[in-house]
Amino acid sequence: MNPNKIILTLLVLVLSLQSCTKDVDFDQIDDASIHTTYIATLIHLNLNVPNFLNELNEEITFSQDLIQAPVPTETRSYLEKIEFTVLTNNTFERNFTLDVVFYNDNNQPIYVLQPQIFIPENSSEVTTILEIPEEDIAVIYDTAYFGFTLVLSQSTDGSVLSVNGTSTLEIQSFFKLFFNYKNI
Amino acid sequence: MRKLIILSFLVCTFSYAQNKQVLYDFSSLPQTLILNPGAEVNHKIHVGMPLLSQLSFQAGFTGFSVYDIFADDGIDINDKIRNAVNNYGTSEFMALNQQLEVLNIGFRLKNNSFLSFGYYQEFDFIAKFPRDIVDLFYEGNTEINRHYSINKLAARAELFGVLHVGLSKKINKKLQVGGRVKLYSSVFNANSRLNTGSFSTSEGDDNIYTQHLDNVNFLMQTSGVFIDEEEDVDGKYVKNKLLFGGNLGLGFDAGFTYHPKKQWTVTGSILDVGFVNYSKNVESYRVKGDYEIEGFQLNFDPNNPQDYWNDLKDEFDDSIVLDTLYKSYIALRPIKLNGSISYSYGQKYDDCRFLIDPNTYLNKVGFQFYSNVSAVHSYIAATLFYERRLGKHLQTKITYTADPYSFSNIGVGLSTQLGIFNTYFVADNLLSLNNLYDAKSASFQLGVNFIVKHKN
Repeated sequence: MNPNKIILTLLVLVLSLQSCTKDVDFDQIDDASIHTTYIATLIHLNLNVPNFLNELNEEITFSQDLIQAPVPTETRSYLEKIEFTVLTNNTFERNFTLDVVFYNDNNQPIYVLQPQIFIPENSSEVTTILEIPEEDIAVIYDTAYFGFTLVLSQSTDGSVLSVNGTSTLEIQSFFKLFFNYKNI
Repeated sequence: MRKLIILSFLVCTFSYAQNKQVLYDFSSLPQTLILNPGAEVNHKIHVGMPLLSQLSFQAGFTGFSVYDIFADDGIDINDKIRNAVNNYGTSEFMALNQQLEVLNIGFRLKNNSFLSFGYYQEFDFIAKFPRDIVDLFYEGNTEINRHYSINKLAARAELFGVLHVGLSKKINKKLQVGGRVKLYSSVFNANSRLNTGSFSTSEGDDNIYTQHLDNVNFLMQTSGVFIDEEEDVDGKYVKNKLLFGGNLGLGFDAGFTYHPKKQWTVTGSILDVGFVNYSKNVESYRVKGDYEIEGFQLNFDPNNPQDYWNDLKDEFDDSIVLDTLYKSYIALRPIKLNGSISYSYGQKYDDCRFLIDPNTYLNKVGFQFYSNVSAVHSYIAATLFYERRLGKHLQTKITYTADPYSFSNIGVGLSTQLGIFNTYFVADNLLSLNNLYDAKSASFQLGVNFIVKHKN
């Protein structure tokens, strides 16, 4: 047989016996979801006895601080949960509590992070995990300020803080953002 | 809209950029002179059909195929996405190249040199994505002490027109050399390369974690992308820019064909050694610096309230500086290298005159090499080929190519000549024809020429 015909026949056979595509289903994209977690460092503090005394060396039992934090709204459709991890070290002979409250533009409280962070007296490496669940997540986008309220508990024996005291309160923290990219 | 995006992605996953391994040195086509200005052509005159003498489309993505993700195989798409991410290399790249030959004319001079000239339009896009960026998107940054680097992040996109003129000259029986001068006119260019920087999270001193942006140096140069509002961007604008109203550049090609022995042929070419000077509508961005953050240190001091957020923002802006630059810049064209060695055999038998044509061989086998060298991404490809003349009017070429995308790329080329009317079609990655969705590599070029041969 003429080699030219063999080559041509083979070429035609190869090309004609091929089907162009196998089955694909682009609607599967509806089921696609990518779960991504980002961590970010948050607040930290290291307070000593003088931080809890006023000019007259009287105890201040109630301290507040605020952070303005504009939250970008681009992630609104995908953010599922926020988890806060707080690590405390307390050498005071007193308990503390720390409340985190979200405020809107009008300085109105719109959300209280649960549970309240309890810092036992003379405690080290106490970890508290708090979360904003999916059903409350929208509140983060209405938040203009995060308010932190630190409360020094009364002593049980009536003793007061001494200006010469060396006790410290350390708080460290980070948060995790849980995204679910779906309906891309 | 979503399906449009998927379809666009699909188009981008079909093929392979820039390497025209089937067309190279094929059938003495006029277009081989574009790939090797020192190629031997045996005709007297050629005129490419305006706008139809070469339509070329090539694109590719080395990461995964459409079929890898969307195969209708009962496997959960999320498992397939995870699998694709797990198989993602240190960096993968996406490329898209399109060429439209508007004009291609050539004729033999009295001294037997061959002069050719023409004009073509080209769109070229390539982007290289490091795995770190994919992992950062897919998994997040929870891996402590891992440096998510942008060092391999690079991209280039450009649209331009090329006016070219070349000469192929026979030095002696063994050697033919050629050169081509090119004038580039760019509509737009955007490029980013040689970037450095990483993002990481480590254990902190004052807080649980410290987060770092280290050695960030990112530059994106653009020209013709951000355009004055009073300028209308329409067909007329693009045409004007393509026809030398844009940013101009200069380049050259060089090539040779050498016959160490009668049946042996060695060819080589270097293409697009040149540059474009971008001075119009330039707007570039540079981000540079280092930054480290341990979070907000609260002081609970009502007598000394602090604006934590704005202090942090100011500190960040001082550390990581974003500059907008309007200075002109020069961009080098990606250089392409071609080479081949081939052996011809099987002399042609003239049925009419009952003679063997001593100068025409029916078969040619050989090896080709291709390399693309650029600041964004460089790669090489190797090809084995067999070329055969089938009768008077048909010439074929079959190639096997190994490249960064595939080790099983089979290509084929067909060129027919009826009188002065020549048509050709070349395509590669034929093995993927049974499932185009699974193709990472394919390309096609086709065209119509009028070729006047020498009278025998």
